[in-house]
Amino acid sequence: MTARFLTLEILILKCRIFDIEFKNPVFLASGTFEYGLIYRNVTNRAGAICTKGITARPRGGNPPPRIFETACGLINSVGLENPGVDVFCKETLPRMQRLKTRIFVNVAGFTIDEFVEIVGKIGPRVDGFELNVSCPNVDMGGVSFGRDPDVCAEVVARVRAVTKLPLIVKLTANFCDPLVVARRCVEAGADGISLINTLHGMAFDLKKREVLIQGGLSGPAIKPFALYCVHRLKDIDVPIIGVGGIMSGADAYEFLLAGASAVEIGSAILRDPFSPLRIIKELKRYTG
Amino acid sequence: MRSYRLKIARRTTYTENIFGLEFKYGGIKPWPGQFFHVRVDEGVELFLNRPISVASYKRGHLLLVVKIVGRGTKVLSMKKAGDYLTLFGPFGRRFRPVHKKSLIIAGGIGIAPLHFLAEYMAGCNIDFDVLYGVRNKDEFIFRSDLKRMASRVTFVAERGYKDKETVVARIRRMDLNDFSVGYACGPREMLMALQELNLPITTYAFCEDFMGCGCGLCLGCAIMHKGVYRRICVDGPVLNLGDIDFEVQNL
Ligand SMILES: Cc1cc2nc3c(=O)[nH]c(=O)nc-3n(C[C@H](O)[C@H](O)[C@H](O)COP(=O)(O)OP(=O)(O)OC[C@H]3O[C@@H](n4cnc5c(N)ncnc54)[C@H](O)[C@@H]3O)c2cc1C
Ligand SMILES: Cc1cc2nc3c(=O)[nH]c(=O)nc-3n(C[C@H](O)[C@H](O)[C@H](O)COP(=O)(O)O)c2cc1C
Ligand code: FES
Repeated sequence: MTARFLTLEILILKCRIFDIEFKNPVFLASGTFEYGLIYRNVTNRAGAICTKGITARPRGGNPPPRIFETACGLINSVGLENPGVDVFCKETLPRMQRLKTRIFVNVAGFTIDEFVEIVGKIGPRVDGFELNVSCPNVDMGGVSFGRDPDVCAEVVARVRAVTKLPLIVKLTANFCDPLVVARRCVEAGADGISLINTLHGMAFDLKKREVLIQGGLSGPAIKPFALYCVHRLKDIDVPIIGVGGIMSGADAYEFLLAGASAVEIGSAILRDPFSPLRIIKELKRYTG
Repeated sequence: MRSYRLKIARRTTYTENIFGLEFKYGGIKPWPGQFFHVRVDEGVELFLNRPISVASYKRGHLLLVVKIVGRGTKVLSMKKAGDYLTLFGPFGRRFRPVHKKSLIIAGGIGIAPLHFLAEYMAGCNIDFDVLYGVRNKDEFIFRSDLKRMASRVTFVAERGYKDKETVVARIRRMDLNDFSVGYACGPREMLMALQELNLPITTYAFCEDFMGCGCGLCLGCAIMHKGVYRRICVDGPVLNLGDIDFEVQNL
């Protein structure tokens, strides 16, 4: 790609969301680009990167197998492997700060206090936070935070009190109505909503007659549903970020038509780490 | 890492379910232990790429050898000379073999990455023997090639020979005093059995697992190694056999 193309691309796709400027509305989804440090040439050309979910304590993650292909997508059960917020702040964040893109930390709490702790410790060194409310809430018997609008609102309100940075809530669509949850989150002070996180899924080993994997389904298989969820939130008056099965500029544009202000690319990266660059280029054809 | 769109220069049938795809390749030089992530479906139904080791790389010719085990490898087997494939790589940590008398221990299709290692070792005049086992004696590949490169080659098979034997059974009654290092690749059960034998030589395993990105981004290819999860795709695939904990499995 030539420098000239780059400037054109910036001119056409540049956007303002949450009162900050983004090079383009194509972000890297949480969990599929780690911390953006491996392929920096991709990270630096994306509108933003959402980090792998950061937890209050270090997590080793789940035993293998963690990835299983299903029709038009995959199931993952990585189990939020990450070094924990302390090591993240000390070792990873300083390196991330040299990236030439917006940084959103994906925050994964298992209690409301943990959400507050993680956001508090990271402080103002990033461009914003994406609260991953899909984790099981250990104080409430392991039911996902995201299913309970009251608990979600409480998470947002408590975190809102400790940060002025843009606060995005990443909603799940598992066993709940994202519209109901989104309304409550916005009332509680959320600046934006991203959706959807992976859908529950599983696969069996036919020979052993046992569960082979149980985890989150992603990829093109979930795109129509993700699009529907984004469209369902069209009257919410904060920016919506669409996620789910985006493989091309056409897919991304479809999410923008459904009411999203930006999109995140997840599973497409597993098939091709350079795919965000292609998607940015293709999207220009629609918006230009 | 780069992405390549390569034309298949030649397709070779080795056995009923093992075939080779050869490409003219002028990209980043692959090292022993490295692999390519091969796209099997330009549509999205078979969503993930398939990791396939470099079996040979010589004078701009890249060879991948594949065994049909499921849908993705079946699709690959139907590709013909002249067809194009999308490949990503080379992925995996570059592995530099030790300059000491070595033993290559291959089970089944595990010979693919070890053949490339053999080529490399022959190129730097490292002395090595090969122990290569298969289920059925028709399944051997690279026979004459290995004989030419190695000091000694031992073929064992569970069926087809008078002396039925597995790699693990043979290694039990081998004198390993001559060797300093071993390189093993094969079915999981073979690697586990080798580990149990507690071989007197440092043994490196070429590991496999389901893979997502193949390049360190998704944390999908975990293996328990010295008490922590490592990523097979970037920390491996070659790891010290003694340090791996195969028991940590959901399966
Ligand atoms: C680093 C690395 C290098 C490899 N090199 C080679 C090679 O040179 N030649 C070769 O033929 N194969 C190689 N493999 C294995 C190859 O990637 C798998 O056989 C292939 O992905 C299977 O795809 P499929 O769609 O045909 O099978 P699927 O339909 O996905 O699966 C068929 C069967 O194989 C099992 N399986 C699938 N993938 C794996 C895996 N990665 N590990 C263990 N079991 C699996 C499944 O449980 C199932 O029983 C390598 C794997 C790795 C990780
Ligand atoms: C391997 C993998 C790891 C993921 N890890 C996280 C995570 O840590 N936090 C999170 O909020 N979402 C995580 N996700 C969900 C994605 O960010 C995204 O919401 C989902 O995959 C749907 O988008 P896609 O179809 O484009 O992948 C992960 C997805 C995958 C495939
Ligand atoms: S396959 Fe994605 S990290 Fe190894």
